[in-house]
Amino acid sequence: MKAKVAIVCGAACGGCDVAIINLHEKFLELAEKIEIVFWHTATDFKLEDLEKLEKVDIGIFIGSIRTREHLELAKILREKSKYLVAFGSCACFGGLFGLGNVATKHELLRTAYLKTPSTENPKEKIPGQKVIVNESKDISLPELTDWNLPLNKVVNVDFYVQGCPPIADSINRFYEIVKSYVEKGAMPERGIAIIGAKTLCDICPRKKPEKIVIKKFKRVHEGPIDNELCFLAQGIICLGPITVAACDAACIKANMPCRGCLGPPPDILDRAAKFISTIASLVEIDRERELSDEELVKIVQEIVDPLGTFHRFTFASGIFDKKQEDVEK
Amino acid sequence: MNEEFEPRIVAFLCRWCAYAGADLAGVSRLEYPPNVTPILVPCSGRVDPQFILLAFKNGADGVFIGGCHTPNDCHYIAGNFKALKRYALLKKYLEQIGINPRRLRLEWISATEGAKFARVMKEFTEELKKLGPLRVR
Repeated sequence: MKAKVAIVCGAACGGCDVAIINLHEKFLELAEKIEIVFWHTATDFKLEDLEKLEKVDIGIFIGSIRTREHLELAKILREKSKYLVAFGSCACFGGLFGLGNVATKHELLRTAYLKTPSTENPKEKIPGQKVIVNESKDISLPELTDWNLPLNKVVNVDFYVQGCPPIADSINRFYEIVKSYVEKGAMPERGIAIIGAKTLCDICPRKKPEKIVIKKFKRVHEGPIDNELCFLAQGIICLGPITVAACDAACIKANMPCRGCLGPPPDILDRAAKFISTIASLVEIDRERELSDEELVKIVQEIVDPLGTFHRFTFASGIFDKKQEDVEK
Repeated sequence: MNEEFEPRIVAFLCRWCAYAGADLAGVSRLEYPPNVTPILVPCSGRVDPQFILLAFKNGADGVFIGGCHTPNDCHYIAGNFKALKRYALLKKYLEQIGINPRRLRLEWISATEGAKFARVMKEFTEELKKLGPLRVR
């Protein structure tokens, strides 16, 4: 018996779909174990087709929830599938789209459809409105949800496969799980992370000094980067300490600091807060007494964008997952 | 009836200085507003920024951190410096997520400064009354 699989897309870039095929020859092996009954990206399926489906064994949801249609898709998929998998960082934590939560949907739409210099929109049409093409047809696009949401804020999720996109190795592990399900009917306990809980620093091949001291923050484009020394020791912000390792340190090996696409280890509630704690303590740690409080504060505040840097992929699943409205009277 | 808004303040006070300062304010019978809920921590460097965000999320209108004076008072040598640097960066983050950074305050209060503790609490309560309640959405 083949396992029935439905792959559904929310707000996503399409990279995760490509990542599934990245299994190369193993994909053929996988294709013998599963039957894909629904896949937006590969064939032209619509919401109605998903409604018509019978139960599936494994539902894979890619992308976050940004429109009413995504919300509906997620709910239907949960109903139809025995096991629901959040695939990719958008489905797991809200992903890059989560950064959109720093503005309300009205602000976002006004900026994107009216305010940008390259926009010409004289009738001020904004998605989500009805457009009457002729008398008989009125066409409308799905409305945006108020905020960008990760899958687990909408429905119960059984498994998470993180990554932007998940690399072949994590998909491989997921494949092993599917295989054992098809062959023995066994699934691991729900809710466990498919990848481990080790941080990237654990597997990082770079040299780490005894004590990491940050004198000045440097951005990647400013000057040469030593390709053997720890990024933090060079003053370059690297999210290694708060990112799980399931990427074989691919970016690090290409001389780029970690941006944290794999998300935090399980015991972290708010990634930005945790990283503020980490990075701030490293600043001038050997000269704290010699500097005045003001000087220390000044160096720490050189970090341009703590939210966008520390919460790049996870803002929508932090303690505060959206912009608050606390204006001074 | 026009009831005045009473802010809720969560105060993380270090065991060696600020908490002792608050104790002194108490035994000296100094008056300060009842809006503050003190929480004893071993050191101001123990205050994880996550605690502060959780406090705000769960109904605090203001969060206060009290530690030992820099550079030489910290019982654990340099915990107060960690608190200072985290506080500076967290303020920036609070502004980005739309929370007024004035809702977070850090002061060095030694065990002999009961009067300072009472004064700071009065000031902070007054300021939060002006800012109004923090509404989380």
